[in-house]
Amino acid sequence: MIWFIMIAAGLFTFATRFIMLSNGISNRPPPWLVDALGFVPIAVLTAIIVPAILIDPADQTIALWDNPRLFAAALAIIAALVTRQMITTIGVGIVALWVLQWAM
Amino acid sequence: MPKAQNSPKASQNLSARSEFWAGVREEMPLIFGVAPFGLVFGVLGLESGLTPWQTILMSSILFGGASQIVFAQLWAAGVPPLIVGGSVCVINTRHVLYSASIAAYLRHLPLRWRILLGYLLTDEAYAISIRRFQHDPPGPHQHFHLLGSGMLLWTSWQFSTIFGVLVGGTIPDSWSLSFAIPLTFIAIVAPILKTRADLAAAATAGTIAILGQPLPWNLWLITAAIGGILAGWLVNRLNHQAGATS
Repeated sequence: MIWFIMIAAGLFTFATRFIMLSNGISNRPPPWLVDALGFVPIAVLTAIIVPAILIDPADQTIALWDNPRLFAAALAIIAALVTRQMITTIGVGIVALWVLQWAM
Repeated sequence: MPKAQNSPKASQNLSARSEFWAGVREEMPLIFGVAPFGLVFGVLGLESGLTPWQTILMSSILFGGASQIVFAQLWAAGVPPLIVGGSVCVINTRHVLYSASIAAYLRHLPLRWRILLGYLLTDEAYAISIRRFQHDPPGPHQHFHLLGSGMLLWTSWQFSTIFGVLVGGTIPDSWSLSFAIPLTFIAIVAPILKTRADLAAAATAGTIAILGQPLPWNLWLITAAIGGILAGWLVNRLNHQAGATS
């Protein structure tokens, strides 16, 4: 079953990449669809980021002030905005988490 | 990018080989972000209960970082297969945009080239090669640029996944390596939040992702994604209307 889902999703993903390169479709997608698809990365990635930071993996509850991941993520956001470099953002965030876990 | 922007004529009629290596060279800085991500996926795949082969081959079959992470996490949570597949598909529909934007430069190629370059059309390869297509003078071998950026990305992604699968078991939990996933996505999202519509999309997606946690089958993810897209789209539309009437 997992192979079936993986291959089906893989074929769909290839289709999304190939579709406008095929000669069957000569028009660009309609403007409303272009607008909507432009928000996919922000919406999907934020939906993954927020629970990964706020939900405590130990007991699945929302953790705020006693949550080292929240403060490490805040520092990583600043690093991302200032440097715009992925490696620096990951480095700042993970080192901040280590320090905070040790300190808190 | 140190491309020949000052001497545009110089990049006309480049050989296939120099187009290819220009693509590879310009893609290189992005590999520093992609390689740790692939490694984390390799580790996470095994932790999610996928076999080494399932984890490694997913990097070729799906070849899309965020969607592979989601696949592994939902599969580990015992979500019904159709919802796993549906979530992966929603995440990957954004490629239609890249395909549409790059089509003008590739449509004249033979089918086998378009299939190959379509398969290699990821966020990172698109970002690098669309710059060459749009800003440098066209050349008869310009598609080799995308072949170069795409193949470097593909190779790095496969090797970092394999490396993650091989070393995964030896990395202690206390390193919190899985935290690299939200960090990677923060590095992508934070700099592209520019307009009010972007912020609305992010705020809505984040809020639904938290409030939706009790939903069955991890439906919070797909609900938050669709809610965020709708919110961004609506605010964008309202802004345009306000701009048109004022």
